[in-house]
Amino acid sequence: MGLIQRGIEAAGIPTVSLSILRDITERVRPPRALFLRWPFGHPLGELGNTAQQFTVLHDAFDFLYTAAPGEIRDLPYPWRRHTYSMPAAWNLKATHPMS
Amino acid sequence: MKNSFRKRTNVLLAKAFTRWPVLGRLWSKTAPITTSTDVPWTPMSKPLSDCRISLVTTGGLHLKTDQPFDMDDPQGDPTFRVIPANARQADLAITHNYYDHADADRDFNLLLPLDRVRELALAGHLAGVTPSHYSFMGHIDGPHVATLEREILPALVGRIRTERPGFVFLTPA
Repeated sequence: MGLIQRGIEAAGIPTVSLSILRDITERVRPPRALFLRWPFGHPLGELGNTAQQFTVLHDAFDFLYTAAPGEIRDLPYPWRRHTYSMPAAWNLKATHPMS
Repeated sequence: MKNSFRKRTNVLLAKAFTRWPVLGRLWSKTAPITTSTDVPWTPMSKPLSDCRISLVTTGGLHLKTDQPFDMDDPQGDPTFRVIPANARQADLAITHNYYDHADADRDFNLLLPLDRVRELALAGHLAGVTPSHYSFMGHIDGPHVATLEREILPALVGRIRTERPGFVFLTPA
């Protein structure tokens, strides 16, 4: 995925990605990546947790403006042991995605 | 025969990595990945509320009406599928045998958060969502890496540019 991200950024479009395998990301060197120590298949988090999805999106969008080139930042959320609330800056209500 | 063995090995490895994530992390330390020295960089020039977003995932997502990714080739599939911005859960499927996507099968936002970014755009936090989003099958090995770099990636970038996103958000499987 990092190769794809590098290609888009090189074409003049800013990019940010999530990483599940830090060692790979460190070698591919995408412009901006947030690392999550979460299982495969869940880059946005657990099933049904929209507050978690919005939290990850908010962190990723914030990182677009604060990252240094090539920075990989570790997000502090342990898998299934964190209670999420909606990002305060976004006036949105958490909904169940299957509803 | 050789291909069949490699495919079975890939599936077994993927199951082990899903069950014991530490194995995936150990594998990633020795995976044959070329180390880059440079970092391409385009700074953000606009606030989020002026940016349209495009999404890219390597989770093997595709429209049910589209051709599935090629799981018969043990070296993967370098092609991509287009996910239209108005795609709904019932429109989508995942073809990727090398990770457990049982949860993402029920909510594709775990891979490609299209519903979430549509909600952000409706609330005015983003300027909008581009008409097209993109999905790869993340297993791309052997000669397919060169095909990705020389043919597929320029085609993808050309498509993305025509829809003028302010930025692109990418997610792995």
